[in-house]
Amino acid sequence: MRLRYIAALWIGKSIRTVMRLFGRNATFLPGRIAVAICPSFLSLIGKPPRVIAITGTNGKTTVANLVVNSLEALGISVLNNSYGSNTATGISCALFAGSTWTGKPKKDVAVLEVDERSAMHIFPHINAELIVVTNLFRDSIMRNAHPAYIAGILDANIPANTKLLLNADDLITCRIAPSNPRAYFGLRQMDGDVKECINLINDFQICPKCNSELIYDYRRYHHIGRAHCSSCDFKSPDYNYSGQINPTDSTALTVSDSGSSQSIKLPGDSVFNIYNTLTAYAALCEFGIRSDEAANALSKAELPKTRYNEVEAGGVRVIMHMGKERNALANSRAFDYVASRPEEKELILMMNGLGEAKVWSENICWLYDCDFEFLNKDNITRVVSTGARALDYSARLRFAGLPPEKLRYSKDELKAPNELILKPGTSVYIFYGTDSIDLAYRVRDAVCKKAGEINKP
Amino acid sequence: MIIEALYPELCNLYGEAMNAEYLHRTVQDCELVKTSLKMRPAFLDKDVDFIYLGSMTETGQELAIPALREHYQRILELIDTGTVFLVTGNAMELFGTYIENEDGTQIKALGLFDLHSKRQMMRRYSSIYLGTFDTIDIVGFKSQFAHIYENSEPPVPALFETRRGAGRAPGQKEEGARINNFFATSVLGPLLILNPPFTRYILSLLGVHSYTLPYEQEILTAYNARLSEFKDPKTGVEY
Repeated sequence: MRLRYIAALWIGKSIRTVMRLFGRNATFLPGRIAVAICPSFLSLIGKPPRVIAITGTNGKTTVANLVVNSLEALGISVLNNSYGSNTATGISCALFAGSTWTGKPKKDVAVLEVDERSAMHIFPHINAELIVVTNLFRDSIMRNAHPAYIAGILDANIPANTKLLLNADDLITCRIAPSNPRAYFGLRQMDGDVKECINLINDFQICPKCNSELIYDYRRYHHIGRAHCSSCDFKSPDYNYSGQINPTDSTALTVSDSGSSQSIKLPGDSVFNIYNTLTAYAALCEFGIRSDEAANALSKAELPKTRYNEVEAGGVRVIMHMGKERNALANSRAFDYVASRPEEKELILMMNGLGEAKVWSENICWLYDCDFEFLNKDNITRVVSTGARALDYSARLRFAGLPPEKLRYSKDELKAPNELILKPGTSVYIFYGTDSIDLAYRVRDAVCKKAGEINKP
Repeated sequence: MIIEALYPELCNLYGEAMNAEYLHRTVQDCELVKTSLKMRPAFLDKDVDFIYLGSMTETGQELAIPALREHYQRILELIDTGTVFLVTGNAMELFGTYIENEDGTQIKALGLFDLHSKRQMMRRYSSIYLGTFDTIDIVGFKSQFAHIYENSEPPVPALFETRRGAGRAPGQKEEGARINNFFATSVLGPLLILNPPFTRYILSLLGVHSYTLPYEQEILTAYNARLSEFKDPKTGVEY
C-alpha cells in the first residue's frame, strides 16, 4: 500500500508539474491518475492540520470562496479546491498542490468544497474538524435523485465526531447525522415570507416523526422556513447564528450569536446570497475567528463574476445570471429574483447541458419542477429559448402561461441575440449553466454588440 | 369528470405532478382532487374517472404501500370496471409483490402484478426511453434505483414494447405492466406532456372526444424533435 501511495504521489505530482508547464490548470487529471494507482490516496496524503469542508446542493462554491477570501484577508494561508472539481479527484489535486514531494502539507488550513454526492469518497478520509452543509435541494435527477437520498449519503459518511454547521431553516439539512455535535444558522422572518408554498418543489411537507402535516410558521421558498408538526413536538431547531436583514438598510445583514451582534455588508441582495454570507460568517466563527474580524472580512467580499455580472451597452443592461443546468431549484431561485426586479426586461434561456447534448438527449423532466411561472410577468417582454433543449423551454414557457407572441426560438445560442428588441433603459438577462459559462460570455458579447448597433448615440 | 392525484405530498418528484394537471387543463368541467396520505380517497365515494400516482422517495414508498393497501379491494373493483389508472416512475414498484433492498430484506408490496423490484441504491440507472404502445411511439426518461423482474410464468402483460433503453430491466423488451385500463410504467416525468399521441389515447378511453390539447403546437413540435433524436442511433441511451 505504501509503495502504491508513493508511486501515486510522485506520478501525480509529476503530471501536475508538466501540465502546469504547458499552461494547464491540472485540477482533475493528476488526481484521477493518483486515485487509480492508489485507491486510498486521499486517505494517505498529508492534510493540513485544520480542515473545513463545505457541502450542500447550492451555495457551496460561493460559501467556500467567501471563507477562503476572508481567511486570506486575515493573513491565513489557505489550501482550497476553488479552481478544480469538488469530487475526490479534484480534492486529491488540491492536496497535491498543497503538499511537498514527500506528501507533507505546506499549509495549516484547508477549505474544501465537497460534492455532496461524493461524500462517501471524501468525508471518511479528510479529517475535517467542521463540515458545513448549506442546504439540500433537488438537483440532477440522474445523479442526485432527491434530497432525502443525498441526506442519507451524508448521514452514512460523516465521521461521528465531526462538528456540523447546519442550516436550521432547511428541515432536510438540519436532521443530518443527529448524534454529531452541531451548530445552526438561520435567517429570521423577512418581508416577503409566506406560509403556503408557492413553488412547485416542496420537499418537506410531512412530519418525519409521525407523518402528520407540517405547519410552516413562515416559509421563504420551497421547504426553507420554520415549521412545526401539527400533531407532535417536532419543530425547527433554534439558531446559534441568527441573521436578520437591517430594516433600514437592505444591504446589511446583522448576525447575533450568544456573545455578539455584528453587521455585515452584503455582496448581493438575493436571498440566496444573504444565506451564503450568513453561512460563511458562522463557519468563520466556528473556526475560531473573532466575530468582528469575520464580519469585517466578509464585508469586503465580492461574488464570483462567473455566477453573476452586469455590463451596459447601447443603454441596455446585460446581466449574466447563472441558473445551473438540470437544476430546477437553482433556476427557480434565479427566475424568482429576476422576475422581482422592477425594470422591463428580456431573457435568453440557455441552461442546456452542453456535455450531455454531445452524447445523449438531456432528461428534461426538471423543467416541470422549475417555476417557469415566475416569468409570466408584464415586465418580461420577450423570452428567447436557445440551444439543444430550446423547444422544450418553449413548451414549458407556454405551460407557464406565457403567450406565444412573447416567445422566440433560436437553435444557435450565438444567434439568440438577433431575437431581442434591446430597447434603451431595459435589461437583458442571460440564464446559463456551469457547462456553458464560456458560451454565455460570448452570447453576452453578441448582445452587447447588437445593442450598441441598434442604439447608436 | 374527476381526476384524482394520490398523495401529492409524497408523489411530486421529477415534474410528474404536471401529468394530472395537463389532463385537467385539457378537459372542460374537470375536477382535480388531490388526496393526501391521511385523507379519505375520493375514489371510495365518488365516480373518479382517472387516478394518478407518481414517483416518490423510498421512504415515501413505504408510507404509500400501507395507505393503498387499506383500499386495495376497492382498487381491484375499479380496475375490473375499467377506471383509468396511470402509475409512473417508482410508483409502479408498489404494485408488484415486493421491493427487495440490497441487504436482501423485502418490503411487501400490493401484489397486483406478479413482479418484484430490486433496489441498488448506489447504482442509479438513467437512460432515454423509446418504446411503442400499440402503434404510438413513446418517448421518455428513466432514472431509478430499482429494476423490475417477473416472479414466474405466465408473463405479466407489458405496457410498452421497448426499442431503446431498458424495459423492466436492462435487456428486456417488456416495459411496465397493464391490466384493463390500469397502466403502470417505470418511465418517469411529465409523460403525458412529452407524449401527446398517448395523451389522446388516454382521453379517448376517458370518453373525451371534443378537446384541443393545450399548447398543442409547441408540445407536438418538441415531441417530434425528441422522437427524431431518440431514433437516431448516434444518440446515446444511458447517462
